[in-house]
Amino acid sequence: MRRRQFLQYGGGLAGVAGLSFLSGPLLAQAAPPPIEVSLRIQEADVEMVDGSAVFMWAFSLGTGKPSVPGPVIRLKQGQTVTLTVQNLASTPHSLQIPGMPGVSLGPIAPNGIGSVTFTVGLPGTYFYLDPDRAPLNRLLGLHGAIVVEPAAQPPGSPATPYAAGQATPGVRALFSALGNHARFPGSPWQPGRDRIWVFNQIDPRINKLAEAGDLAGALDLTASFLPRYFTINGLSGVDAAHDEATVPRGRVGQPLLLRALNAGLATHSPHIHGNHVFTTAEIVESSHAVRVLDNIIEEDTWSMPPLMRRDLLLPFAKPPEIPDAAWPPRQEKFPLIYPMHCHNEISQTSAGGSYPLGLVTDWIIEGPL
Amino acid sequence: MSTTIPRPPTDPAEYDAFGCDPNSDVIETPDKVSPNIRLTRKVHGSFDVTMPDGRDVRFWGFVDPNTSGGDRTWPSPLIRVRQGQIVHATLDAAKNTHTIHWHGIEPSTVNDGVGHTSFEVSNQYTYQWQAKTPGTYFYHCHKNTVLHFEMGMYGPLVIDPPSGPGLLFERHPADEDQATDLRYQVEAIWSFDDVDPRWHELNHSAGLCGEDAGLNRFEPKYFLISGVPHPRTERDPRVIVRARKGQNILLRSINATYSNLDIRIGLNSTIVEMDGRPLRTNPQLGTFSKPIPVPAKAVTNLTPAQRTTFMIHNVQPGRYEVTATYKDWITNRPHAAGGLARTWIEVT
Repeated sequence: MRRRQFLQYGGGLAGVAGLSFLSGPLLAQAAPPPIEVSLRIQEADVEMVDGSAVFMWAFSLGTGKPSVPGPVIRLKQGQTVTLTVQNLASTPHSLQIPGMPGVSLGPIAPNGIGSVTFTVGLPGTYFYLDPDRAPLNRLLGLHGAIVVEPAAQPPGSPATPYAAGQATPGVRALFSALGNHARFPGSPWQPGRDRIWVFNQIDPRINKLAEAGDLAGALDLTASFLPRYFTINGLSGVDAAHDEATVPRGRVGQPLLLRALNAGLATHSPHIHGNHVFTTAEIVESSHAVRVLDNIIEEDTWSMPPLMRRDLLLPFAKPPEIPDAAWPPRQEKFPLIYPMHCHNEISQTSAGGSYPLGLVTDWIIEGPL
Repeated sequence: MSTTIPRPPTDPAEYDAFGCDPNSDVIETPDKVSPNIRLTRKVHGSFDVTMPDGRDVRFWGFVDPNTSGGDRTWPSPLIRVRQGQIVHATLDAAKNTHTIHWHGIEPSTVNDGVGHTSFEVSNQYTYQWQAKTPGTYFYHCHKNTVLHFEMGMYGPLVIDPPSGPGLLFERHPADEDQATDLRYQVEAIWSFDDVDPRWHELNHSAGLCGEDAGLNRFEPKYFLISGVPHPRTERDPRVIVRARKGQNILLRSINATYSNLDIRIGLNSTIVEMDGRPLRTNPQLGTFSKPIPVPAKAVTNLTPAQRTTFMIHNVQPGRYEVTATYKDWITNRPHAAGGLARTWIEVT
């Protein structure tokens, strides 16, 4: 097991200076406190699931451990953020948050520091990434997820992941039903109950050229991209299925929001077993802005083209096709474990084989309602 | 100055059990209840399909041992059950080990057919599940899936409402839409697939346990609908849809490829079901979706393993083109070998 680093508003982690902040229901008048986020970029040798290592660039929070993807950053709508990026790599790098206008800094020279102050935009799931030599720098590790939460939840209404003016009738109907409807017995969705799934693919030939300093050659090679490793949150196969921060877990009636992002160049086709998911948001292709959906379609498989971000509500319902007369199970024991994997099965390999050491993880139903 | 990001520590036994050496201790079906329907699927090791260039390509599949003459079908034979039925489906793995995953069907973990969360089946296992929602599904082997699925080990699965085929789903008094006709007189079940013949020369366990079998390289040469390679799709009765004026046509589409699939239908249609879930708004049932109108010739994209069902109401005489464009998962361009299958809807 490994714990990912989380940056919580006011969380007090290394590299973060913020005011202490109470969790739980927020009053509408509570303005989110300003926050400083310090990221570092450095070079890293990243170990793949088969034990081989590839060269990548990695973000860390301040002096914390570098990781690919970078650490998850959680912000509040309307919050003032001062983002500082220190470049410890030997090549220049930049930073952007696609879909959040005005957040752009760089290029930052080796050993240089860049900084930008901005007001956090609409709630949703975002990338922070290095847009330079696109798609090379992002592909080789310089990407991470940002979760923007609403500044406040509307009093008297069920919590949703979106701002009051942003949530559609469809989203409001879904979140109103959770914990409050014969189909969804249990609890409403709790803000913060989510999992972030960042997908990426690795073609080691490209990493090798970049390590040797041939960035032009590495960029050229992305045109004939032939990935050999497929990751979710930087992990493959059994490593991802055992990663606490990746695996959704809970009892029936504890709905959870999946935030899926694809940093790579291949179109993934995630398929979840055990429950269908309700897709609640995606991005507008041209602007990368968050688009909250009104037609809330239930899917077991959804498309994730490059740079797509989607929010999907995993209801943690009783798996529907367990016969009603066999629920709760007596002979089969909890937990019930279900995979989520990409159904473009090419992604289920590592180094040309070794099914299923690719883009797969599990999710776990620990018990009945 | 370079730092190292190591893999998380993993128990080597767990690493092996996850992929290379999965559990094959088959148990008796737990929590067994009386079935309404029993069926069997037996693994058929090898048969050939002749491609338009004359090349015989090897496939594997499932057969129904209770049906004569059904031993060389690909895709594997349709399973059709009714909403509410409790299904006992026995897999006879013949030699080697296989599983059946009921894609879109959500039973308990041991009935889900995934090796690393339960077991792979040597000999026999009886899967148990209860059909709940009318719609389009499929079943497939989930062992070394990257290869076994490409080898053809899948078949379509349809859940009909209690009244059986001919109706998409039963109208409910709280359905917001009470007007749309949910009956159909003509139905097609199209399984789209693409075939890289190199993969079809590989061994059953190719690539497992650290071998580089090149399974990250997929270069399909043949593009098929329901086991029929293009261009035979333009005249084969297994693919072509024939209807009479005024009928409603239901087109169930399954993306069984490793490609981004674009479907274009030459007349107006409505997406009425996706992934085994009718598109309907019904506050009592807790569903929040709506049918999606699709203008003639507009693109509908299906991601691998997604199902999309189109309804065409009150068709008028004519010959309407249907094309499927199979696009590479990285370039998002049609595959070099063509990446196209075409068929027709003929209305008289």
